[in-house]
Amino acid sequence: MNILYAIFIDPFVQMGTAPDLLVQTLWDGLVAGVLYALIALGFVLIFKASGVFNFAQGIMVVFAALTLVGLHEKGVPAYIALAITVAVMFGLAVGVERLMLRPLVNQPDIILFMATFGLTYFLIGLGELVFGGNPKVMIATELGLPKGTIDVNMFGGFVSLQKIDIAATVIASVMVATLAVFFQKTRVGRALRAVADSHKAALSVGISLEQIWVIVWFAAGVVALATGIMWGARSEVSFALQIIALKALPVLILGGFTSIPGAIVGGLIIGIGEKLGEFYWGPLLGSGIESWLAYFIALLFLLYRPQGLFGEKIIERI
Amino acid sequence: MRAPDDSPKARIGDVLLSVEEVSLAFGGVKAISGVSFDIRQGEIRAIIGPNGAGKTSMLNVINGFYHPQQGRITFKGQTRSRMRPYEAATGGIARTFQNVALFRGMSALDNIMAGRTLKMNVNFFWQLFRHGPAVREEVEHRRFVEEIIDFLKIQDIRRTPVGRLPYGLQKRVELGRALAMQPELLLLDEPMAGMNLEEKEDMSRFILDVNEYYGTTIALIEHDMGVVMDLSDRVVVLDHGEKIADGTPDEVKRNQAVIDAYLGVAH
Amino acid sequence: MANNAARADTFPKLLVRNAVEFAARPAMRHKDLGIWQSWSWSETLDIVRAYAVGLSRLGLKRGDTVAIVGSNRPKLYWSILAAQTLGAVPVPVYADAVADELAFVLKHADVRFAAVEDQEQVDKIQSVLERLPNLEWMFYDEPRGLRDYDHARLRSMDDVIADGRKALAADATLGAWLDSEIAATKGSDPSIILYTSGTTGTSKGVVLSGERSIAAATDTVNFDHLDENDVALAYLPLAWVGDHYLNFAQGMVAGFCTACPENAETAMADLREIGPTFYFAPPRTLEALLTRVMIRMEDASPLKRRIFHYFIGVARQYGERILNGQSVPLKGRILYGLGNLLVYGPLKNVLGFSRVRTAYTAGEAIGPDLFAFYRSIGLNLKQLYGQTEAFLYVTCQPDGAIYSDTVGPAAPHVDIKIADNGEVLFKSPGMFTGYFRDDDKTAEVMTPDGYVKTGDAGFFDDKTGQLKIIDRAKDVGKLKDGTLFAPKYIENKLKFFPNIREVVAYGDGRDFVTVMLNIDLTAVGSWAERNNVAYASYQELAGHPLVYDMLEKNVAEVNRSLAQDKMMAGAQVKRFLVLHKELDADDGELTRTQKVRRGFVAERYAPLITALYDGSSEADISTQVTFEDGRKGVISARVKIRDMKVEPVAAAMEKAA
Repeated sequence: MNILYAIFIDPFVQMGTAPDLLVQTLWDGLVAGVLYALIALGFVLIFKASGVFNFAQGIMVVFAALTLVGLHEKGVPAYIALAITVAVMFGLAVGVERLMLRPLVNQPDIILFMATFGLTYFLIGLGELVFGGNPKVMIATELGLPKGTIDVNMFGGFVSLQKIDIAATVIASVMVATLAVFFQKTRVGRALRAVADSHKAALSVGISLEQIWVIVWFAAGVVALATGIMWGARSEVSFALQIIALKALPVLILGGFTSIPGAIVGGLIIGIGEKLGEFYWGPLLGSGIESWLAYFIALLFLLYRPQGLFGEKIIERI
Repeated sequence: MRAPDDSPKARIGDVLLSVEEVSLAFGGVKAISGVSFDIRQGEIRAIIGPNGAGKTSMLNVINGFYHPQQGRITFKGQTRSRMRPYEAATGGIARTFQNVALFRGMSALDNIMAGRTLKMNVNFFWQLFRHGPAVREEVEHRRFVEEIIDFLKIQDIRRTPVGRLPYGLQKRVELGRALAMQPELLLLDEPMAGMNLEEKEDMSRFILDVNEYYGTTIALIEHDMGVVMDLSDRVVVLDHGEKIADGTPDEVKRNQAVIDAYLGVAH
Repeated sequence: MANNAARADTFPKLLVRNAVEFAARPAMRHKDLGIWQSWSWSETLDIVRAYAVGLSRLGLKRGDTVAIVGSNRPKLYWSILAAQTLGAVPVPVYADAVADELAFVLKHADVRFAAVEDQEQVDKIQSVLERLPNLEWMFYDEPRGLRDYDHARLRSMDDVIADGRKALAADATLGAWLDSEIAATKGSDPSIILYTSGTTGTSKGVVLSGERSIAAATDTVNFDHLDENDVALAYLPLAWVGDHYLNFAQGMVAGFCTACPENAETAMADLREIGPTFYFAPPRTLEALLTRVMIRMEDASPLKRRIFHYFIGVARQYGERILNGQSVPLKGRILYGLGNLLVYGPLKNVLGFSRVRTAYTAGEAIGPDLFAFYRSIGLNLKQLYGQTEAFLYVTCQPDGAIYSDTVGPAAPHVDIKIADNGEVLFKSPGMFTGYFRDDDKTAEVMTPDGYVKTGDAGFFDDKTGQLKIIDRAKDVGKLKDGTLFAPKYIENKLKFFPNIREVVAYGDGRDFVTVMLNIDLTAVGSWAERNNVAYASYQELAGHPLVYDMLEKNVAEVNRSLAQDKMMAGAQVKRFLVLHKELDADDGELTRTQKVRRGFVAERYAPLITALYDGSSEADISTQVTFEDGRKGVISARVKIRDMKVEPVAAAMEKAA
């Protein structure tokens, strides 16, 4: 009886009695969710267009952030470093396409997946070699990102919003909106969808698969860079950052592997769900809910709705 | 009534594409051995033969999906030892597939619009903001595609996702997409497969209309001998990767080697 | 707002008036190449004037007849107007008529000019050219496929119009001449000849005059408060009197916009896009729409189904009363409003009915449930009754007095009498002036005091004062024992079931009543899918024992309903069979307006009818069919026959089994 009370009644009572804490938790969840969504976005882009599950997405986040910070350490001004990093990500995309995708174009998907493993370790090695293995501080202020907090008076208490978080949410939203427009409206976007749908058909219509892949990996690279900047600003830039990429997996399962809105919605659900779960139900179940709740939700989805909330249910006439 | 002096041969011109001594092998299996033939501008060329004769492989070679170990392909005067899909498409070769390669998640209209990809020239940024030249171009392309939809009589399914369409209509949409590329050479891989009599007649009509109205050269793989005899100007017969006959439908029909290998009793 | 159209007594004069009064308003729309094209009244006048000049330069004269063959296309409507402008008489023919039918009409009407839609029609006419020595010119709308044709006697409408435009621009007096031609058109002259589809015998050409047509249309436009802001979708055959009246005549009088769909298959989608304010559909179409909705509903999630059925129940309770303006408790209004938001509104939207202010149905009896359904969701569906000879309207139901089993009181200024034998007679402002070149038949169908015999048997219902139609007068017969046998009455009752598409009943001069049924492929096919019944063809499905079981239940219900009525109890169905093929107009079994040709069907299926009455439990039948491309084939089947239990009646009219 007590347990039932603790699970189903108590947390909501707590939410009700301290609404400002609820809002704070929700906000934290939102921020985390947005960042999860960004990572998932990178996966979705590549998976959608080339059918490859890019295991290296997490390390690309780290690599992009490292490049940015490393260049700055060497004395390059912040915005120039940013521009150069973007160029590096473009070079990475071209390199990946030419050296990894093209030779393996007709191989089964699992081969390409293994290739991204290889890419991961390559990037780890390269990063360590060039920038050293020590954790670094993100150059948030140099990039013009705001610091400090805003305290909002609400519901009798106050809610503390970090300015960097607000900036992150805004930037992420802009990025997502741009990508959405890009996919829907432009010729390149249409070509991307075509490639995602059927390679054979895309080829016969004259779409250059190579060009599309470069564009997609570059876009994923830019998303990785943005993610790296945001995450790095909240903690620090180190190789440990790539662990968060694993969190993207439940997000993808929830939202569907091929859906951009799915990545966003999934990210938000996981982010908010985790924080709420940890804060209100955590004491009951022993803390650490944050580490496994996402996977639990993902498991439920795999059982009952494997294509995720927005994923494509393949409609086929038999 | 046809105008009195419309002779069928008047519209057939010079050689548009020729394959010379093409050989293709996969591992140890020889799919095509030393095959040569040509396709003339404005004609309808049928490629026939029993299953496994190498017909689809031949189309794949022309189209650039497969690269032959030996031989040359000459298209519009330019000779290559291997074609690439992108070159084939930009050069004016369009293709349909035996098993229908459509973008399943898109509507019939979007699929056919995809065929206009190569003809879209306007800069990326104009498109992003949907301004000026981008809108004009989009309208032009849409008009062209609508003419094709009207031609193929698929107005009522233009918004239906193609995954939901019956096979016959899917094939029509695929033909529409190929037509949207305004090809000089149209490669059709078994366009009538799986169709009933009425659908076959419709498709035959469309193929003839495409040839007459748009002037497109057509190479088609087909098993239905009636269709082949009715539609084509010349026929190439393949068997076990080799060419065993090449000529008009009547000549081929009477060719002993063809009868033995493929036709059985002479029709 | 009464309409002042009556000052103009011919359609060309009306067009001139519209071009002045409604100049910029859309007169016609057509979905072509995926977008809706639009022409205003003033543009229409320009085009028609140019077209008329072009036609006169090719030799069209006053009094000539011009065939119009095709489906609803702006250029064909303009062909009608252009012909009328010169005082020539348009003669529309059904687009799906086979070459023989076409040849008959064109020859009978002695046409010298034919305005056709496309290559298909050109080919048809050319195939019977030797029977039409007087045909001089053919004009086509759609050029596809006609490029290589010999153009000695063929011209595209665009060319004719362009030629007319050039001539008008070059010669100022031509314009004045045209104006005088228009002024010279007389209201009493023939304005159009509509050939009736003839459920019996060959087609007859109904001649209508301009002044009468406009007078009748003015009356109904006022009756239904139509004006220049209305929109109608012209999707029913152009050659049918309904289209000429409802869309053309009313459109010209009121100045509203007529929209032509892209083609027959897209008509439903186009309906949704256009959102007409005035709508007509035969009961068949309404039924098909409802069936499709119901089928889709069966596939929806349980929650949606529950919501749907609940609110349809609410509609059934309050809907019609709300529509009729009667009082309804507040709770009812709230529930109905909620239902409108969730169910009826979206439903009407999907069907294209969101903006419909007035909807009519006619042509055959409509099932009371079907009728009530549409009214209950807020569609102002009414019935009308009429025929080509009346220029459509004989009766129509006014808002506020609408019943499912009557066809309404007399239409404005229409005079109805019932003859002694029960036949309905009428005199109306729009009635025809006679059959073309057939004075005998004209005299046959008129009474000495100038009433037209409709050929239908009916009576005025005491309760409502509205007309009720029982059946075709000559079809009402008697069984051997004297029981009244009205085949249509029984057939309609059966056709109200969604699984049954068509019914033919026999019994006149026989011992008992039997029926031949056609299943509705959509409804029964969907049932088969859901119940895992496999079938490879229509024939197989129609012969399936489970399908027979289903239909047996329907027939039993009809028998029960017949048993309630002393007069009809003896006419219960004793035996029935399901036909192996659908009755089809191409095979001559139905008319072009989908009415059964009883006599013809009786001849064709004679072996089956014999079997029905000699007690056999099955019979073989071979029928010749015509495919859509004109080829002929033979379909054979072994058809099963089932016996029905007859419900007992109080009176001693029971028939021994």
